[in-house]
Amino acid sequence: MQNRTPVGIRESVTAPAPMKALGGFGLDKIFLILVLLYLLVPLGATLVFGLSNGALTTYLNIFNDHDFTQTLLVSLALALASTILAIVLVTPTAYWVQLRLPQARPLLDFLSLVPFAVPAILMGLGLVEVYTAPNPITSILSLGLVPLLSNPPFTIANTHPLLVCAYVIISLPFVYRPIDNNLRAINTRVLTEAAYSLGGGWWKTFLSVILPNIWPGVISAALLTFSTAMGEFTLASLFSIYTFPIYLNQVGQADAHKAASLAILSFIFTLICVLGIILLVRRQPGQKGEVEIAAAK
Amino acid sequence: MAFLTLDGITKRFGSTTAVNHVNLAINQGEFLTLLGPSGCGKTTILRIVAGFETPSEGEILLEDEEITHRPASKRPMGMVFQSYALFPHMTAEQNIAFGMTIQRQPKEHIQQRCAELLELVGLSEMGKRYPHQLSGGQQQRIALARALAVEPKVLLLDEPLSALDAKVRISLRNEIRRIQQQLKMTAIYVTHDQEEALAISDRIAVMAKGKVEQLAPPEEIYSQPQTAFAATFVGNSNQFRGVVESPTEGLCQVGDHTLHVSPLPRYQKGDRVLIVVRPEAVTLQHAAAASEQNTNGVGNRIAGDIELRTFLGPFTRFHINSNEHASLIADIPSQQAQGYETGQRVLLSFPPVACLVLPLDTQEKELEKLSETV
Repeated sequence: MQNRTPVGIRESVTAPAPMKALGGFGLDKIFLILVLLYLLVPLGATLVFGLSNGALTTYLNIFNDHDFTQTLLVSLALALASTILAIVLVTPTAYWVQLRLPQARPLLDFLSLVPFAVPAILMGLGLVEVYTAPNPITSILSLGLVPLLSNPPFTIANTHPLLVCAYVIISLPFVYRPIDNNLRAINTRVLTEAAYSLGGGWWKTFLSVILPNIWPGVISAALLTFSTAMGEFTLASLFSIYTFPIYLNQVGQADAHKAASLAILSFIFTLICVLGIILLVRRQPGQKGEVEIAAAK
Repeated sequence: MAFLTLDGITKRFGSTTAVNHVNLAINQGEFLTLLGPSGCGKTTILRIVAGFETPSEGEILLEDEEITHRPASKRPMGMVFQSYALFPHMTAEQNIAFGMTIQRQPKEHIQQRCAELLELVGLSEMGKRYPHQLSGGQQQRIALARALAVEPKVLLLDEPLSALDAKVRISLRNEIRRIQQQLKMTAIYVTHDQEEALAISDRIAVMAKGKVEQLAPPEEIYSQPQTAFAATFVGNSNQFRGVVESPTEGLCQVGDHTLHVSPLPRYQKGDRVLIVVRPEAVTLQHAAAASEQNTNGVGNRIAGDIELRTFLGPFTRFHINSNEHASLIADIPSQQAQGYETGQRVLLSFPPVACLVLPLDTQEKELEKLSETV
């Protein structure tokens, strides 16, 4: 194994040659700077605009605003709940389908794309309609579940749980795809059989063999679901639930400077989340990246 | 009573029958190899024994206890896979410990056992490495240690050496055999490599089309194949298709030639047969010199031109083009092979006892297919 050269190192050894051919400042660097400018200029402008009304006062205003903390906490709770529910529902399902029901994979592929095709507003209206005034057909099709959830004490219409469920549905493509791709990339069936032959049951195999190996996919799915739920406006607005994006919208209509500062805060918050997740993935043992770093040292 | 019994095992996938009424009785401590071309059902049998597939018919008994429908995780079997199947996120040591952790064995015992097993497979220093930091051969050794860690009653090996290069393959197969004998472990080994099967097994089950063609020790499989398929699949051979002319005198008509074989009490005149002659049973003579000598006793002689001469160390292989029988092979000890060069006309001789006569009728089509692929 000593003669194995990690891919990353090989690339870094060969990469400088074409750059030198272009002479000094490579074309690639120019493109990099252009892309960075494209991304950073609007952010910088927003930051400057936000601060133009007096940095301290703007941020003090924001942090003292009761609605800011409240909506941020509501959105965080909703996003966290959606992420957990989506991961808990989709990961074992995708694994089970991959293992036992591969013929059902096209169906799951299709279902995971439906949220892309159906606009959020349609789904929101549909959910409100179904759970506020259930008709006999939905009652029968849901085996009585919809009427149960439409009336007290289990009324679900326009509540946080229904919004979480709706967020899980709209984030389905972002959850199913990365997890399924990871399951296909590892030799799921053989690894499962190896674990079975060593006495592992389904859950033990899933939790201690499969999950750690599809971890990057799960994290990616979690990140995308979290971001989707944090920034979702349409459904929350239809359900009349006061979330951070709705607060942002209201503030934007009243005070543009404050809205700009809030956008920056929201960006920093998301950046911290993303960096945290990247660090979490890197720490997984046995990943090739870790070895490449070790070899490079 | 055998240690592990497969009784009338049949497995159908839709309309295809992968395993067709297979009966096998494996003794304790025995190393049994399932040998056959791809698609013959050997891996399916192994998977049925492991519990990954349920047979359509038949039952499996382990120490007289029926285990046909017991889930894989509850069977006392250790499995080694062709693709190693090591858990990528665990070190070699953690891989070995996995099964023992599930069995809730004490931590100290697990550590001690890991060290023992790493030593057994000769990788004491590699315990802290991850699978991708190990070579293919090392990974398979770890996979073997992992399978042995749970102290299985039967070790199942599914083409464990196919993904390795030739040299590692030979050293690891010897290692597998040494460990199996040392632990007196009952093992079922699946391979399509006949040399591997002959080298490693106590008994070989030659398989074709979901059926066991012959079950016997390697020497017997090689020297006394019971079916034309077994004779063709195992070892190199010269083959002549012919018709029995005189069973009592041991004469068979092959084209315009009459071949002398041992008397054939079980055959009748007119039976179609395959005559198999191993290349090492053939001797060579220069055609010119042979015509001057007197022939003693009854033998078979076929004239041909040396087409290809391949030095293979202890012996040299000659491919001889005979007009009537196409290409024939002769393996001559290298010391006696001097003086024979490509293009020379030679005479191949082989005694009647070197001719294995096998019935042909039922398997002709399969053999044709096999000779195309081999």
